[in-house]
Amino acid sequence: MRDAFAKSLVAAAKADERVLLLTGDHGYALFDEFRHFFPKQYINAGIAEQNMVGVAAGLGKSGFRPVVYALSAFSPIRVLEQIKLDVCCDELPVLFIGDGAGVVYSTLGASHQSTEDIAALRGLPNMRILSPADAHEMKAAMELAFATPKPIYLRIGKSDLGPVHQAQPKLEWSRLLPVCPGDGPLVFVATGSMVNLAVKLAKDWPGSAVWSAPFLKPLDADSLVAACGRHRVVVTLEEHNVLGGLGGAVAEILSQEHPLPVCRLGVPDRFSCFCGSYSYLMREHGLDLDSARNQILAFTKKHPF
Amino acid sequence: MQSRQGLKLDRHGSLKICMSAALTSYAPADLRRTILRMAYHGSTVHIACAFSLVEILAVLYRNHLKLGAGPDDPERDYLVLSKGHGVMAQYAGLREMGWLSEDQVRSYYGDGTALKGLSDASVPGLEVNSGSLGHGLSVGAGLALGARRRGTSQKVYAIVGDGECNEGSIWETLLFAAHFRLTNLLVIVDANGYQAMGSTAEVLNTDSLEEKFAAFGFEARTVDGHDEALLDQTITELVQGPFPGPRAIIARTIKVKGKGVSFMENTNLWHYSSLTEQTYQAALAELDNAAPGLRP
Repeated sequence: MRDAFAKSLVAAAKADERVLLLTGDHGYALFDEFRHFFPKQYINAGIAEQNMVGVAAGLGKSGFRPVVYALSAFSPIRVLEQIKLDVCCDELPVLFIGDGAGVVYSTLGASHQSTEDIAALRGLPNMRILSPADAHEMKAAMELAFATPKPIYLRIGKSDLGPVHQAQPKLEWSRLLPVCPGDGPLVFVATGSMVNLAVKLAKDWPGSAVWSAPFLKPLDADSLVAACGRHRVVVTLEEHNVLGGLGGAVAEILSQEHPLPVCRLGVPDRFSCFCGSYSYLMREHGLDLDSARNQILAFTKKHPF
Repeated sequence: MQSRQGLKLDRHGSLKICMSAALTSYAPADLRRTILRMAYHGSTVHIACAFSLVEILAVLYRNHLKLGAGPDDPERDYLVLSKGHGVMAQYAGLREMGWLSEDQVRSYYGDGTALKGLSDASVPGLEVNSGSLGHGLSVGAGLALGARRRGTSQKVYAIVGDGECNEGSIWETLLFAAHFRLTNLLVIVDANGYQAMGSTAEVLNTDSLEEKFAAFGFEARTVDGHDEALLDQTITELVQGPFPGPRAIIARTIKVKGKGVSFMENTNLWHYSSLTEQTYQAALAELDNAAPGLRP
């Protein structure tokens, strides 16, 4: 999936010399091909993220297509005000890449884990948020992002979980993507790394539908109601705080448009307690297969269908 | 209706460039009168931090900024007001240029009007959104880098405050500008010696600015920020000189934030105070005595 990202970036730089990659001294090895073929379009801005975002805004104002690459723990969080004031206010064409989102850096603690980036950005006018689930979605998302000269945040979470689609899907801004069809009482709406888990969970409730949400903002109400309307319980899954992310967005829309019980599965509203492998930390946060299943069972006991 | 790259209309579609006749030659006393008018009619604050950069703006607008066909000309020079609190001085300059009308100036700060109390890029002639400090300079560095990549001869004149130099992002940009040898960037520090809660020396000392800028890789000079001839000469020398990196001027306007109006000098009060009819007339009278001009 990260390979698909790097290749899409190379393709974009080749197609348009206005594409400039800015990195805050991150992306070792990831950008080897880019640097080899397009050294003049590569800017290592150093460990100085505030300046990097301001510079990207200035480049965007003067006709370039800057791509700001950083760990999602640093951008958007450290530079939220620069994104708001320098980029979003003027709706400049800056594409932000937040790598390592969620608890990918499971052994490194709170500084490198990022479970608040979606919540932080959803409140910024003019910002669009993409969260691809696999390499196919990533390629489609990158193509869409470069075709859309606006402020965009593309979130890259755990990237080696394998494909959820058979081929590159056609992405349409703000709309959900079908993963598994179904008419059962449960519908799963998941984003990023968690689509994979949703597919596994759905097998325990035969007939469940699974949808991927590559767009966290904007999120189309009609598309969501069409996906969820004929089911009885909605389960959302995200590798992000349960507050302010996909689950929040789904609940906001459904509460107005088509009220349904929404079981929001995500990282509880707390920091990781311990060091450990990715799977260890997902278990700590209740996001492994067994824990997620138990949470859904408990929820459906309260909201029987 | 003025469209800025098709996206400004969404925010302030009603703001037009009136292109009225240019008024004067950016005489500082006239600019200060305009600032006083705006502050009085709008009952606003931030008078002193606008006053302190009047001569800097006058010299830039009069002698240095090449604005081409207007605020959307892709080859224009950029005047980046990073210390957005001094925005009334820039509005006064735009009034002189004829880009703002007297009506717009007088409606400043009012309900439903486009001229806000801090700099905002939706206003033609303003390049960045400021007010939160330490933003505009980095955007200016991006503009400078963009101009160089496009192979234009554009210059970026970025005005920061000495109080603003408390912000870490300023120093990130100084590193960046020097590392990438942004020779088309001139940073002018309006070093008026004051910030929100007191003198800069007392709050968080940013003294030795010339040495600091030089150490970061700038060609830096310190001048009297109210001496128009000296400012003009220094800007010319720095911009035309051969130095292979960015340039900086420390414009000393120490303890004269209310420059030109004696009761506003040597105090931080006029960062916060609004004018009454009495203080408005007293300030105008002082400016008139020093530099008689047309009373609007």
